[in-house]
Amino acid sequence: MAAAGMEAATQQRRRVRRSALLWALLAAAFYLGFIIMALLRGAK
Amino acid sequence: MAEVLTHAEPHDEHDHTPHGWRRWVYSTNHKDIGTMYLVFACLMFFIGGGAAMLIRLELFKPGLQFFDPQFFNSLTTMHALIMIFGAIMPAWTGLANWMIPMQLGAPDMALPRLNNLSFWILPFAFTLLLGSFFVPGGAPAGGWTMYPPLILQTGAAFPMLIFAVHLMGASSILGAINVIVTIMNMRAPGISLLRMPLFVWTWLITAYLLIAVMPVLAGAVTMLLTDHFFGTTFFTAAGGGDPVMFQHIFWFFGHPEVYILILPAFGIVSEVIPTFSRKPLFGYETMVYATASIAFLSFIVWAHHMFTVGMPLAGQLFFMLSTMLIAVPTGVKVFNWTATMWKGSLSFEPPMLFALAFLFLFTIGGFSGLMLAIVPADYQYQDTYFVVAHFHYVLVPGTIFGIMAGVYYWLPKWTGRMYDLTLAKWHFWLSTIFVNVLFFPQHFLGLAGMPRRIPDYAVQFTDWNMVSSLGGFGFGLSQLLFPYLIWKCVRSGVPIGNRAWEGAHGLEWELPSPPPHHSWTEPPSDAVIARGCAH
Repeated sequence: MAAAGMEAATQQRRRVRRSALLWALLAAAFYLGFIIMALLRGAK
Repeated sequence: MAEVLTHAEPHDEHDHTPHGWRRWVYSTNHKDIGTMYLVFACLMFFIGGGAAMLIRLELFKPGLQFFDPQFFNSLTTMHALIMIFGAIMPAWTGLANWMIPMQLGAPDMALPRLNNLSFWILPFAFTLLLGSFFVPGGAPAGGWTMYPPLILQTGAAFPMLIFAVHLMGASSILGAINVIVTIMNMRAPGISLLRMPLFVWTWLITAYLLIAVMPVLAGAVTMLLTDHFFGTTFFTAAGGGDPVMFQHIFWFFGHPEVYILILPAFGIVSEVIPTFSRKPLFGYETMVYATASIAFLSFIVWAHHMFTVGMPLAGQLFFMLSTMLIAVPTGVKVFNWTATMWKGSLSFEPPMLFALAFLFLFTIGGFSGLMLAIVPADYQYQDTYFVVAHFHYVLVPGTIFGIMAGVYYWLPKWTGRMYDLTLAKWHFWLSTIFVNVLFFPQHFLGLAGMPRRIPDYAVQFTDWNMVSSLGGFGFGLSQLLFPYLIWKCVRSGVPIGNRAWEGAHGLEWELPSPPPHHSWTEPPSDAVIARGCAH
């Protein structure tokens, strides 16, 4: 029972880490991408 | 299927409630962080409210009474920035922190350290922003919309403003990531997406909006920064730039931002009305789809803020019609709330009173929004007090009353004590009467042609300005009841059981009041979920 609980906890931690990274990358890409795109266009 | 952490392994470092300042500074507990957000929001509400009272003081009579025009413009600019980014958004994040894990049967937010970081960014952001009052040139005075070229004339406060906006944006994005990851991964087994409470749903959609639009604001203010300091000419016509482009970029952020401010209020009203009607919410699924539709439409209406800058007829028609389209899902919501009350066993405790006032008064703000959406009419209303009346009806008896409804609804759960219901009703009635005295006359002033953002006005506008100012002072003073009531509740409220309100459903009401430092250390049972998630 305890082993199953630990397994579920590990799985969940992995899922949380994966989706947090995904969303962080998406947000950072938006955040930096928009700024960089604007600056590159401004430099033309 | 999402599963909750079972804590099968030892977690010694989490097993006690820390004390002293470390509890707050190092906190990774969702309730403590939620409390810090709410206290911060309350503080900012009174600072922003103080600025509003000074504005109304200056406008009590025509002529310049107390402030020079530059300082008056700083007051209007800072009032908006403080209220939007310092009061309302942190209040929502505080409520999300407190309630989302408890409503989903989760032990905490998914990313507790990130949670701590996203809160502690805020005091630094607002120290910068408020500190700008004390630098040469004074606080920013170009309006919260930061339109160039005017905003580029800001003195030493300019980089402080830009950096503060970046910090607020970063805090919001981190908070939004945490909310999405929590909702997607931490739901107790058996809580499918369509069994989640409406408050969680509206926050999920709000979090998506935040991630989509805060970077746009960051890009816009970075371009302002480089125009000011690094010789670019994004928004300077003389260098080939276009100031109108800033308005498009800003409002592509700004209009979804309006829905970021209001959607969680829809969620709270959808929790409160069924509780005090003793009936399930009418049309749960349509509420979810209506919220998602509103969020989608919010991306394609931005230029209704700028009809008078000039745009092709097709553009005017598109933005007019897309704006009017928002009335459809909003109408669905208002209908569903009303239908929930239909033949219900209603009672009128303070959360229900605030939710009902929200329903009536937010709808008034919605109707004046429809008037503003009509292009030829907007040419008359643009930049008048009619616009001020419109968005304050949406944001004060809309958003602020939504927050009040939420706090009065869950305060007994948070503290384990019932507050003074009579005092809360006084707070409600004084707020509701004065908010109308404050903002309703501004419709008349706007229709008569009084422009916004001015410290002085023509004498024919005097009477309604006096009425509005008196309403403002009354509304501001009556808000002092709110912190007193909370203090009194914490100190001497009557202890209550798990379920503060007899008609309340939801997993949070299955926990003790106040909930333990760690809420759901074991996932709720199927029976508890069935009881808590019945829509």
